[in-house]
Amino acid sequence: MTAPPPIEQSLVVLDDISRFYGEVLGVNRVTLTIPSGITSLVGPNGSGKTTLMNIITGLVRPTRGSVRILGVTPSEPERLFRLVGYSTQFDSFPKGLTGFQFIYSFLRLFGYDHAECEKLAWKSIERVNLVEAAKRKVAAYSKGMRQRIKLAQALAHDPRVLVLDEPLNGLDPLVRAETIALFRELALEGRHVIVSSHILHEVDMISDQVILLSNGYVVAEGKIQGVRDEIVDHPMEVLIRCNRPAELASKVFHEESVVEARLHADGGGLLIKTRDANRFYRLLNHIALNGIEIESVAPMDDNVNSVYEYLIGGEEPGR
Amino acid sequence: MTPPYGLWWAQIRAVIRLEMKKTFFARRGLWVYLLALAPVLLFMGRAIDLMRVRETRLALATAHPVSAETLQSIDTGMTIDEVIGKLGEPDSRRTFGRRRRGPVVMMSYTDGQDDYTFTFIDDELRDINRRDHPSLQQDSLIYATVFQFFYLRLAIFFGCVGIFMNLFRGELVDKSLHFYLLAPIRREVLVVGKYLAGLIATVVIFTTSTALQLWMLLLPYDASAYLAGAGWHHIAAYLGVTALACLGYGSVFLAAGLLVRNPIIPAATVLLWESLVMFLPAALKKISVIFYLQSLCPVVAPPDRDMNPLLALLVSNAKAPPAAWAITGLVVLTLVILALAGMRARRLEINYGTD
Repeated sequence: MTAPPPIEQSLVVLDDISRFYGEVLGVNRVTLTIPSGITSLVGPNGSGKTTLMNIITGLVRPTRGSVRILGVTPSEPERLFRLVGYSTQFDSFPKGLTGFQFIYSFLRLFGYDHAECEKLAWKSIERVNLVEAAKRKVAAYSKGMRQRIKLAQALAHDPRVLVLDEPLNGLDPLVRAETIALFRELALEGRHVIVSSHILHEVDMISDQVILLSNGYVVAEGKIQGVRDEIVDHPMEVLIRCNRPAELASKVFHEESVVEARLHADGGGLLIKTRDANRFYRLLNHIALNGIEIESVAPMDDNVNSVYEYLIGGEEPGR
Repeated sequence: MTPPYGLWWAQIRAVIRLEMKKTFFARRGLWVYLLALAPVLLFMGRAIDLMRVRETRLALATAHPVSAETLQSIDTGMTIDEVIGKLGEPDSRRTFGRRRRGPVVMMSYTDGQDDYTFTFIDDELRDINRRDHPSLQQDSLIYATVFQFFYLRLAIFFGCVGIFMNLFRGELVDKSLHFYLLAPIRREVLVVGKYLAGLIATVVIFTTSTALQLWMLLLPYDASAYLAGAGWHHIAAYLGVTALACLGYGSVFLAAGLLVRNPIIPAATVLLWESLVMFLPAALKKISVIFYLQSLCPVVAPPDRDMNPLLALLVSNAKAPPAAWAITGLVVLTLVILALAGMRARRLEINYGTD
């Protein structure tokens, strides 16, 4: 077996992946290179997010194409799962186990001894703030607690790649914020955190890059801003808060890159649509130097939600 | 590179630990215990009955001693008074009236070992019925029949269906198999771990049952002569055959659990195959479990003349190979099936439902 190139040993690489369930398409011709940091998979129900995650982790084999996770193929689970932790969307657990036993038993499968398993189990349980409930049966856990214990299981062996299918589902706002902070922390440690989510504003908040899926195809990938810039059919919307919006409107309206300028309903701002955001921002700097006090400049549609709407139409993002 | 045997063994132990509780205490596996317990209850009932009858006979013989020689001196043609004159009053006497004819009188005696019933018609002894006390030899044949006919072919067979098919299939139904597949464990190692867990459970359940059955078989008798002879060998053989049955059927149904969703289909197919295998050429016989097991049974089950031909078909035996060959053959068959199961497990996917 030839060793993958060194660069591949730090990336998750999917090369021309397709998966069909009989006649039904799971994912088709997906080619991705995922670096470390937080990567979000976004798409409506049936778009192929879970299939893609299952392919990455070897729970499902692709009909065509190849996968390498840090240079390891999913056909070698004995090597792969020392590098990868996967929190699936399946909400079922081995029967009769407490939260601690669940993590402990899972770690024993790695071949660790009793003391090591205890230490790692408690460490991951602490990391997801579930210490108090650790001795209770998983069957008695709330949805949010089950999500957290699954996350603890994925984290327990300190993997370099985390694949998390809808990890924020069922979490209350406080825990959700803590969990997002944990993802950030893991990403800063140089890990790959691949998350699927249907809550777009959270995806916006947490992602270093996004992968938009629709009907089994990747429709866009990259940093949100970059993806948005490539959508030339829809001019970018920018809200400018300033002291003299009408004057600002008259100044920018003749600019070639501006296609629309509209006063904001509250009279304290101006909504601009531009085909060249960078050029417009440079213009705005110039205007600001000429006496108009600009309080804030906020792009209104370079978020996942807008990108999604422009690329996929009216489809509601889901799992 | 040297295979990491130490790691594999640690992982196998971890799998066994996880499976043990599920295998022994699963609510859905309760019927396996009932299946294993059924022949124990059967032989317990018989033991209790034999001991009760023997106690009654001894009490009667003590209260009214009659020697076997005196009882054997009674001949047909004698009158009731002549018999009573020789033997004294009977232990029990029943009279049946007949229309326009003399009564039928039945008198029972015992010498403490056997029961004698004398039937008089019109005051003349017409029939002498001697009922022997059952012997351990007779009961051994009954046991051999139950063991081969019911216990091996049905109880252990279906017990293995219940336990081994659930090892993978049950977890697919419960949607919990993916936890194993998310650990850095070779799929073949997982198969071996699960198989050993199932094997430990079935061997414990069914050999315990076999031991209890044999205890119940011997309980009403003075078994010292039997044990001094072939007894211990028979006991060891029955326990060994039980364990080997779990070994063989276990591998078959573990593999089946990896291949099909519905347990009834492989169970029916294997049962049919095991029944028809005697009609097949020698080479094909060797790929059945029962072929090896029957040849290892210490007592040949006697054919029953009144048996339904379909059932007789089940009991018939193929030409038996020597014990060492039978054990080797069964172990090789098991290893081949497990190797195939391991290959299948490598291609196993998790697809509980829709994406």
